[in-house]
Amino acid sequence: MRSGLFRLVTLVALLVLPTAAFAQFGHPFNSPYSGGWGKDHANRLLIDPHWDGKAVTGTINSGGATLNITSTTFDYSDPAAWKVTMKAEGKDAAGKPVTATLAGTLENIGVYYKIFSGTITEGAQKGDFVVTRN
Amino acid sequence: MKNQLRIAFVCSAAVALFASTAWLEAQAPRAGQIQQEGSIAPEAAQGRGGRGRGRNAAPAQPTPKLADGTVNLGRVAGEKGIWNLPYITNMAQNVVDPTTGQPIPEIAAARAAAAAARGAGGRGAGGGTRGGGGGGGRGGTKSEPWMPFQPWAAAVYDYNSKNESQYDPEGFCLPPGGPRMFATPYPGEIIQLPEQKRIVMIFEGGTHIWREIYMDGRQHPSGDELNPTYLGHSIGHYEDNNQTLVTDVVGFNENSWLDYFGHPHTGQMHVTEKFTRPNKNTLHYQATVDDPGAYTRPFTVAWDIAWRGDGELSEYICQENNRYLNRLTDDFGQPVFGPKTPGIKPAKPTAGGTK
Repeated sequence: MRSGLFRLVTLVALLVLPTAAFAQFGHPFNSPYSGGWGKDHANRLLIDPHWDGKAVTGTINSGGATLNITSTTFDYSDPAAWKVTMKAEGKDAAGKPVTATLAGTLENIGVYYKIFSGTITEGAQKGDFVVTRN
Repeated sequence: MKNQLRIAFVCSAAVALFASTAWLEAQAPRAGQIQQEGSIAPEAAQGRGGRGRGRNAAPAQPTPKLADGTVNLGRVAGEKGIWNLPYITNMAQNVVDPTTGQPIPEIAAARAAAAAARGAGGRGAGGGTRGGGGGGGRGGTKSEPWMPFQPWAAAVYDYNSKNESQYDPEGFCLPPGGPRMFATPYPGEIIQLPEQKRIVMIFEGGTHIWREIYMDGRQHPSGDELNPTYLGHSIGHYEDNNQTLVTDVVGFNENSWLDYFGHPHTGQMHVTEKFTRPNKNTLHYQATVDDPGAYTRPFTVAWDIAWRGDGELSEYICQENNRYLNRLTDDFGQPVFGPKTPGIKPAKPTAGGTK
């Protein structure tokens, strides 16, 4: 039991250590996010966006095919809660075209742990999602 | 013995954890301490000094030179002296026309209006530092329409304005990025090493950091060899008959703001600096910021830095004994530096929050 606690404390310490050293204050979508979607957010969702100065490129993966981000639109009406619509396209294992849309809100803009949450629609599937900046 | 080792390891981890996160706000004063510094013409700066720590500069003396006639940007042999870096909280108020070096018309007009208001007994406009805009808190983007923000950068700036720079990375004792190094009010030195074809800049503030400027004609590293850092990779040369040091800086990381007010930048930032010393007591600093990732066009800022002839660098450790940051919370009331559960979005705090 104590050994488990020791390992947990050590793991937490090691996980937290990099946060101060690797802050990121450029475009919020120039670094990867991870989290989940669907019931209890049990399905993994990874977003690896890149800001090139004009547009967001990169990929998303909700458990199936990795899709390329094709467009991302922002509404900055509330500087603390950006409305974001991100679209991605790709092909599944059978070669069939797949599209996904993530519509939601980007919050916690000023700190390391930015949070993007909303609704994901991929093919016939739809569900809520939450991802946090890694 | 085993338990002792465990305790020692846990304590070490805790100390390391604290050291990595316990940055203090000493570098960037909070809202109540905001100052505003205007661009000062070199001749006007003589005897005025900057806003840095210590006494003002002495009366003007001729510009010191190195043995070959190159401008000496540091001490004269046998003397003391440091550059008394000013406190520039909002670089947008120091934007100049790069061809004339003079404040752009909008800023000149705002200063004239503020001076007139002071003369009439009013408090003046304050150069757009507060109010008058839609950013809440301070003026935000609406108070500085000359700044060529991209939409996302404008939103970030308004956010930082609204919360009055609550998340300023320099307030966490992270180093200033780019030109902000010369706007952080602690002493600095410029040490020219012509025989080694390099220049070293040492800063007491900004977490005790230094810069190296390569003067040997090399180019910037490219690709993965260009390691992004707070102060970037600097190469330089002299112009104007060796009276102006010109540097070219790339390779910035995205871990900093341009200033206390929270102008953002990206890793695409390219800075061109010019250092001149119109007299012994004045260093004129000019930086052109070209960041296509955050701004639609380049802009140039400039200010003067006063010499303090009796000054020397002191030891200054930003994170020492700082426990303030352990109290910082994010927009959801969660610890900024504490452990998080990835993917879990906490409930937002009720009105008033816990900040």
